[in-house]
This record gives sequence, structure tokens and C-alpha cells, in this order.
Amino acid sequence: MLVLWLVFSPFIGALIAYGLGRRHEKARDYFAIALTVLELVLAVVLAVFNSGGGFQQYSGFLVTGLSFEVDGFKSAYAVITALMWAGTTLFAPEYFEHEKEGLERYWLFILMTLGATEGVMLSGDLMTAFIFFEILSFTSFTWVIHEQTKDAVKAGYTYLFIAVIGGLVLFMGLALLYHEIGTLSFMDLRAAADACPNRSVIRAAGFCILLGFGCKAGMFPVHVWLPKAHPVAPSPASALLSGVLTKVGIYGILMITLHALVEDFLFGAVVLIAGLITMFLGAVLGVFSVNLKRTLACSSMSQIGFILTGVGMLTMLSAAGSEEGYAIALPGLMLHMVNHSIIKLTLFMAAGVVVMNLHALELDVIRGWGRNKNRLKLAFALGALGISGVPLMNGYMSKTLLHEGIVEGIHIIHEIAPYLKAAEWVFLFSGGLTFCYMLKLFICIFVEKNADPERQARYDAPGPYMNTASAIAILGSSVFCILLGQPFLSTRLGAFMSGNHHILHFKAFTLTNLKGGAISLGIGAVLYLAAVRGLLKKDGHYANYWPKVLDLEDLVYRPLLAKAVFLIWCVLFRIMEMSTDCIIMLARKTVLREKHVKNRPRRFGLAGVMAAEFTEAAKPIVTNFSFALLMTCLGIIVMLFTIVYFAVL
Amino acid sequence: MSSLFLIIPILFPIIGGYLMIPLNLENKLIRNIYSMTVVCITSVLTWIALLKVGVVGTTLYSFTRGFSIDLRADAPAKMFALMVSIMWPLVMLYAFEYMAGARRANSFFAFYVMTYGVTLGVAFAANMTTLYMFYEMLSLVTIPLVSYYANHESMFAGRKYAAYTIGGASLAFFAVVMTSIYNGAGNFLYGGNLWGPYDPKLMQIVFLFGFFGFGVKAAIFPLHSWLPTASVAPTPVTALLHAVAVVNSGVFAIVRLAWYTYGPDVLQGTLALKIAQAFAIFTIVYAAGLAVKERHFKRRLACSTISNLSYMLFGVLLMTPEGLEAGLLHMIFHGIIKITLFMCAGAFMHETIKSYVFEINGVGRKMPVTFATYTISSLSLIGIPGLCGFISKFHLVMSGLGAGTALAHIGCAALMIAAFLCAIYTLTVTVRAFFPMDGTDRYENTDEYVAKEVNALMLIPICTFTLINIVFGVWPAPLTGIIEQIARGLI
Repeated sequence: MLVLWLVFSPFIGALIAYGLGRRHEKARDYFAIALTVLELVLAVVLAVFNSGGGFQQYSGFLVTGLSFEVDGFKSAYAVITALMWAGTTLFAPEYFEHEKEGLERYWLFILMTLGATEGVMLSGDLMTAFIFFEILSFTSFTWVIHEQTKDAVKAGYTYLFIAVIGGLVLFMGLALLYHEIGTLSFMDLRAAADACPNRSVIRAAGFCILLGFGCKAGMFPVHVWLPKAHPVAPSPASALLSGVLTKVGIYGILMITLHALVEDFLFGAVVLIAGLITMFLGAVLGVFSVNLKRTLACSSMSQIGFILTGVGMLTMLSAAGSEEGYAIALPGLMLHMVNHSIIKLTLFMAAGVVVMNLHALELDVIRGWGRNKNRLKLAFALGALGISGVPLMNGYMSKTLLHEGIVEGIHIIHEIAPYLKAAEWVFLFSGGLTFCYMLKLFICIFVEKNADPERQARYDAPGPYMNTASAIAILGSSVFCILLGQPFLSTRLGAFMSGNHHILHFKAFTLTNLKGGAISLGIGAVLYLAAVRGLLKKDGHYANYWPKVLDLEDLVYRPLLAKAVFLIWCVLFRIMEMSTDCIIMLARKTVLREKHVKNRPRRFGLAGVMAAEFTEAAKPIVTNFSFALLMTCLGIIVMLFTIVYFAVL
Repeated sequence: MSSLFLIIPILFPIIGGYLMIPLNLENKLIRNIYSMTVVCITSVLTWIALLKVGVVGTTLYSFTRGFSIDLRADAPAKMFALMVSIMWPLVMLYAFEYMAGARRANSFFAFYVMTYGVTLGVAFAANMTTLYMFYEMLSLVTIPLVSYYANHESMFAGRKYAAYTIGGASLAFFAVVMTSIYNGAGNFLYGGNLWGPYDPKLMQIVFLFGFFGFGVKAAIFPLHSWLPTASVAPTPVTALLHAVAVVNSGVFAIVRLAWYTYGPDVLQGTLALKIAQAFAIFTIVYAAGLAVKERHFKRRLACSTISNLSYMLFGVLLMTPEGLEAGLLHMIFHGIIKITLFMCAGAFMHETIKSYVFEINGVGRKMPVTFATYTISSLSLIGIPGLCGFISKFHLVMSGLGAGTALAHIGCAALMIAAFLCAIYTLTVTVRAFFPMDGTDRYENTDEYVAKEVNALMLIPICTFTLINIVFGVWPAPLTGIIEQIARGLI
């Protein structure tokens, strides 16, 4: 029952909030906060008391019924989801204070998405996950397009169509899988997949599902929506898009990996490569970006890459038969999911504070704004340190585990050890880039002075910049960055989520592990000093050096769809479209030609005159369309009788 | 007695509609009450017939051996008749409001009511000859509806429609004659009724004749282009006839041809079947592409109908019971979805007197209910779970994978591509309506673009169909159970 409440109460609540919001906006806000806090409390209750593995099946609905399952990872993510929503809901009323248009819509869809996300997180089979996944794809679309600016509409379309493609590819994968093994339930999937003789079909289905969920996760090469959509959405929504919705994609990839393809080396290698590219590309884009939220969005993409790398390593390690590697990589990637959610909640809400005060995101404009805003500075610093992987912060724990997974792979899978060595360096380098762009953001907003002294003076003027509720949300979430950095807590959380107690003995602060972190941070610091301060800053301004051409969407996808495909439709299809009409016209001009008599032949005698008169009078009739119909009917009747005659004979 | 039950629902609306012409009901209220009464009584009569009549057919008139006018209500006939009899009164309600200000509404309703009876005739036809007769009548009785507005465009559409359907019927006629000659069982029989010393090669060619002949109404490529042209007709016509009754009659005729005349044993694996499948698959993608580049709102939906009709044909022509089930399911669900979409488009055109997609920008704020229901139906058409379109699409894809042939797999891919294109051509409308880019909202501060929500008479059918859409989407089990039994020939 608790699960059902968690999943469906937000849907009902969304409608209530919509109704309330039309009359009392304040009441709507309080209602939404109460609903999300209740959701959080119930999710915690669920995680604490019911995580032993409950499976509930409600058949008869939809196609294969709905089923829900509760285990450590799922209940933990149900809590994280509820936490994210509670945080952003607390923050949103102040953020939207001066906005009047479209708020009802915002609340309606944000609460519906909460229900859908809980539905995915607690799903007991892939079909249930898919159903809620589709719902949240469409409800979250309204966040992206919320501002209705040119950029927002463009990003909205990109988001929408990538979501649709993702949904369809995912659906195809599920159909293949369901057709092949006859079940999608997490309970039986593993056994059924192992028993299936036709591995290639399962692998094909797995790739479809990977791509489908990858669309939402922001995996390369379907990441194009992510750096566009996150910046244009309202900040509370960006936090959710980045913190939770990308994780929904990861959740799906993880589920299919764990339940059907965990020992498939090729699948693991593909995920690993996609992860490495996503990780590196996102980090590079983040360093180049000169827009606060865009940098954070690119960072999200990069962190998703880290998690995917973990999934890839996990699969390859278990394919190689390494129990130990599996026991490190799994909690590592789960912890990184949690950490990234929490950190992005903090950072995007901090960015939201900037936006609601300045209505700007460009680094040059907002530079120096945060110099005297200590609460915000603290929260942002904690988030930045966490994501950079500074020891004793949460990112360090999970990144170390992920790194450890790759190192384990180098030791065990000898055949591809050199490639994995390269992967390790990409990993460390991307970690360095993370530190680099976070340093760039922090120094820009909270340390440097604005190039315009007048503006700096305005920025330095004391005054309220966020209310208590927002401060609670932001600082509250940033506290988790420290808490989860403590090995005592994070190893327990990791063990709880992965159901594997091996991690409890993990030593985070050994010399080798610290060395990995130090290399990353060192690379980051050097890069910051050399690249960002040296090259990317021109005359004290942050300039965007990333070539606009190198946008996969504008470079490949849109031209492919708009030019190539539509050229075919417009030219080839127009010809085809006319083909049948042409035949009819041809018949009309030849066989059924209307007679144009110019020089009427002279007729003699009464009969001739009468015949001439008759043809003249009959002309409107015989050239009439109805007459043609009549003749057709007559013809049919004649044919009918002929056949009847022969049949009787 | 049994024959009476079947023939009354067919004749009643035909006579009732015909009487409207001499009666010339100029008074709107009387006309509405009269036609609504006729339609409702017909629906009730149909339901009585469905309950009372067994599967035994009755011969009304016999020309000669093999050629007779027979009526029968077997399971697929009941399904089709039930679907039509539920939809007709609802769309009638919409038509009253839509046609409120129109001239010559009397003759419009006369033909509209008559079409009901003819469509029931198609449903209840027990053999090819009868089916063909009603099929032809359906063509003739709907031509005046297509060219109702009597302007140049409408007249052209009417002529084109007539040329296509009558041309198609001439192809189908060949198939009707040949299958009737080698008709072993007399009436339609699940699994095929061909019997006798026929030439298999010839019969394959005959099948193609029948397929393309009846395929005109099912808008199979290359015989599809009448459908977008015919969308100049009043919206009640496009909504009910060109999304459900007429076009589904075409699909229904092909079901009768492929499943109840030839049967899977004769057709499975033949070249003729492959050709038919290939055309259906091509039409799926092709028409979806047409819809994407179409800028006229109703024509765009008409192109989408072409694509979806081929979904059904694809399912039916897989020649597996699962495929037939999927095809029949999609027939019902697409009807529900497309009626709603057309009625929403009609509501928009009725209120604003605009008809192009780019003129929709921002109208969502003014007509929230219309476009909310439009959005739900479009999501359903794309195949988003929780709505009924998903159920049929799921069955189609599963049956395609189950059939296992290469063409079936290509068909599944085509379904996916078409679904993506469907998202483009339907959701761009939603986005334009609700989320116009800053400064492109046409309905703000202008006198040229004025809109308000349509009244209850139009909203009741729209909302009812949307509700049905959601209910079947969430809880399809009873319906899919029945359709499965039909598709397996159990009832």
C-alpha cells in the first residue's frame, strides 16, 4: 500500500494543486510542500521498514499489469527522489515569486512527474518502468519549454523528440525481449535470460534498451538535448532534470544490465566506451562553457559518463568472473548516482538564487555577485568540492570506488589491459576537468570582482537575496555532501543499496586511493591555471571559444532529418503522390475523351435534323458526371447478369 | 425472424434518412430531433440484433448458386456494428453544433443518416456479393457528403473520391466474382471458404485485385490520395466517415477477403501476400511522411489516417491470429483516437475559421479543453502507455515479431519510424497551441484571431471519446479478451 501511495498520491495531488492554484496561490504552495514532505517521510519509512524485497503484482491493467518491487537500491532512490522534490518545492515559491504566467501548469506537471519518477524507481518489471518513464518524459517536457523563449522552444523540441525516439527504441527493445523470453519482471528476468539460447536477440534488445534509457540519461550520442534543456528550464526544474531524471535513465540501464546482460562482455565494452566519451565530452564542454547553468548541465553529462563507466566496468568485470570487482563497482556507481543527485540539487538551486536575483547566467554578468553572500558561498563550495572529489567529501568516495573498479579490471582482464589503462587516464583527466570547471565557476562568482565597478558596487550592497525556506533547502542539501563523504556512512549506504556487504571493509583513505584523487585534483588545478586563466579568459572576460559548428544536433541530426529525409519526401513522394491521379487524367484524356466537335457535319432530312437536335440536347446529360456513374452501374449490372447467365449454364 | 432483426437496422436509417429529403425539415430543432431519433433508434435496434441474432445467416434474395444477398451477424460483424453504433450518435451530437449555421443542412443530415444504415450493411454482409453491394452503396451515398460545400474544391474532391472508389470497386468486382464462384461454404468462414478446382496462381492474382480494390477505401498506397483531398468535407464527415466508418469498411472488407474467404492456409507464404504486406508497410511510413510535411490541419490528420489504416492492414495481413487481433484492436482504438482528433480540429476550425497549423499558435490558452483532449489523443496515437493506442501498437509489434518473417520485422521497424513521425506531426500542434514562442502568440491582442472554448454539445462527444481512450488504455483486458477470441475464430 505504501508503494501505491508513493506512486499515485502525487498524481492526485497534482490535480488538487492545479485546482487550488487557480484560487489561492499560497495555499497551493503550502499544499505542494506538505505533499512532498509527506512523500519524503513515507519514502524513508518504506526504505527503513520494507527494504527486504517486497514484490507486488497488480495484473489486469495495461498490457502486462503493474508490479512494484522494493529493495535497497530502489527504496534508497525513492528517498532521494522525494528528497529532491521536497528541496526544490521548498525553493520554488520564492523562485517563482514574480512570475505569474504558467505556474499552474508548472505545479501540475512537476507533481505528476514526482509520481511517475517514484513509479519508475519502485517498478517491479521493465514494462512498469517503461510506462512511468514515458509519463515522466512528457510531463517533464513542460519544464523545458516553460519560459517559452526562442531557446526554450528549440530546446523543448529537441527534448521532446529525443524523448520520443528514446521511448520508441526502448519499446522496441522491450518488445524484442518480451517476445524472446516471455517475461519482463525483475524477479524472473535473470533466470529467463540465462536460460535463453538466443543470446544475440537478448543482446540486441539490450542495446535498444540502452539507447532508449540513454536518451534520458544524456548518454553520448543522444546527449544533445541535455546541455540545451537544463539551462533554459526554471532552476528548481533544472535541479530535478539533472539530479533525478538523468538517473531514471541510468536506473533503466542498470536494471537491464543487472538482470539480463551482466555477463555480456561486448555490452559492457559498449557501455564503457559510451561512458568514457560522455564523461570526457561533458567535462570539456563544461570547461569551455561561459554560462553558469550550462556548465552545470555539461557537468551533469560528464558525471553521467562516470556512472556509465561504472556500469561498463561492472559488466566487464563480472563477465571476467571477478566477484570482488563486481562488489566494488556496483556500490561505487550507485553511490555516485546518489552523490550526483544531491550535489546537483545544491548547485542548481544555488544557480537558481543567482537567476532570481539577477535574471542572468552569463559568467561575465554574474561575476563577483556572491562575494559577500556567505550562506550561498558555503553551499556552493560544498557542492563544488563534493563533485570534484576532494577527500572527505562525498564525490571522493564514489569516484574512488569507480576508479578502483577500473584498476581491478586492469589487473584481471589482461587482454584489454592497455585499453583499460587508457580508460583510467581518461577517467582521471575528466576528474581533473571537473575540478577545473568547478574552480572556474566558484572563483568567478564568489571570489573575483566584476569587470564593471559600478555593477560590483551594486552586487556588494547588503540585502536579502534568499528567504529562509530557500536557505533551508540549499544548505540542507549541501550538508549531505559532507555526510556522505564520511566512509562510515557512505559504505553503509553502499552496502544497503547494493545488498553486498563486501564494501563495508573498503578503505577509502589508503595511499593509492588518495594518490588517484590527488592526481585528478592536480590535473584540475594545473588546467585551471594554464587553460582557463591563461587561454579562455580574454581581457578579463570569459569568452566562449567552443566552436558553434561542433554541435552534434545542428551538425548531423537536424540536417539529416530536415534536409536529407525531407528532400526525399518532397521530391520523390510528390511524384508518387501524383501517380494515380495521372493515370486517371490519362484515362480521361484518352479512353474517356470528351468530344469537342468543331465543324458539325451537315445532316440531311428530318431524321438527320432530329438526330442533331437530340445530340445537342443530350450533351449536358452525357457529359455529366452522374451519367458516367449511371453508365458504370449499368455496366456492372450487365456484367452481373452475364456472369449469372454463365453460372446458370 | 432472425432476418428481420438484421435488416431493420439497415433499412431503418436508409428510409429515415431518405424521408428527410421530401420532408425538407428546415427548422433546426425539428431536424435535429428527427435525425437524432432515427440514429438512436437504429443504434438500439442494432444492439437488440446483436443480442438476439445467432450466427446463422439468412438469405434475403438469391440470384443463383453462389450469388445471393445474405445477412449474418458473426463475431467480427458484431464488433464492427457495435463500434459504429456507439460512435454514430455521439458524433451526431457534435454534428448538430458544427452544422448549426450551415445551409442545406437538411440534405447533409439525410445522407449522414443514410450512411449509417449502409455501414451496418457492410458489417452484416454474410458473403462477398452482399459485402460488395453495400460497399458500393457506401461509395455512392457518401459522395454528396464529400462535395457538400459545393464550391470548386469540394466538387473536385467529390469527383476524385468517386473516381477512386468506383475504380477500386471495379478491381474488387473481379475478386468478388472469382471468390464467389469457388465459394465452398456459401457464407464467410473463419479460416477461408475457398473450395473447388481453382487455379492457385490465378487466385493469388485475384487476391491482389481484391486487396487493391477494397484497399481504395482503406487508402492503401497508391490509391490513398482521395483521403486527404476529401478532408474538405464538413468535420462530422471527416471525423466519422473518413476516420472510422468508410475507411474501416475498407479494412473490414480486406479482413473478410483475407481471413474469411482465403484464409491463412491458402495465403501464407504466397507472393501475393508478400506484395500486399509490402504495400501496407510502405504506406505506413510514406503517409506518416506526408502528414509531417502537410500544413493543413485536417489534411494532416487525414494523412495520419492513411498511415494508421495500414497499421491495421499490416496486422491483418500477417495472417496469424495475433496479427488479426492486433489489426482489429487497432481498428477500434484508432477509431476512438482519430474521431477525437478530427473533432478537436473541427472545433478549432469552427471557432476560429482558420485551418492551417501555423495559425494554431497560442490557441491552447483560449481552448484549453479542446487542445488538452487533442494532446491526450495524439499521445495515444503515438503509442504512449496508459492510453489505448499503446495497447494496439504493443499487440502489432508483438505479432510482427511473432510472425518471424523478414517483412514482418521490417514492418515493426516501419511502425517505430511512423510513430516517431507521428510524434512530429501531432505534437508540434500541441506545442504551438500551448507553448507558443514569445511573440508568436496569434491570439493575443488581435481582432483577426479570435477564439473561445466551444460549447458543451461539441465538448461532450470529445470528452467522452477521450475518456473511453483512457479507460481502454488502462484497462483493456475485457476488450482484448473478446477480440482475441474473434481473431482465433472461437466466437
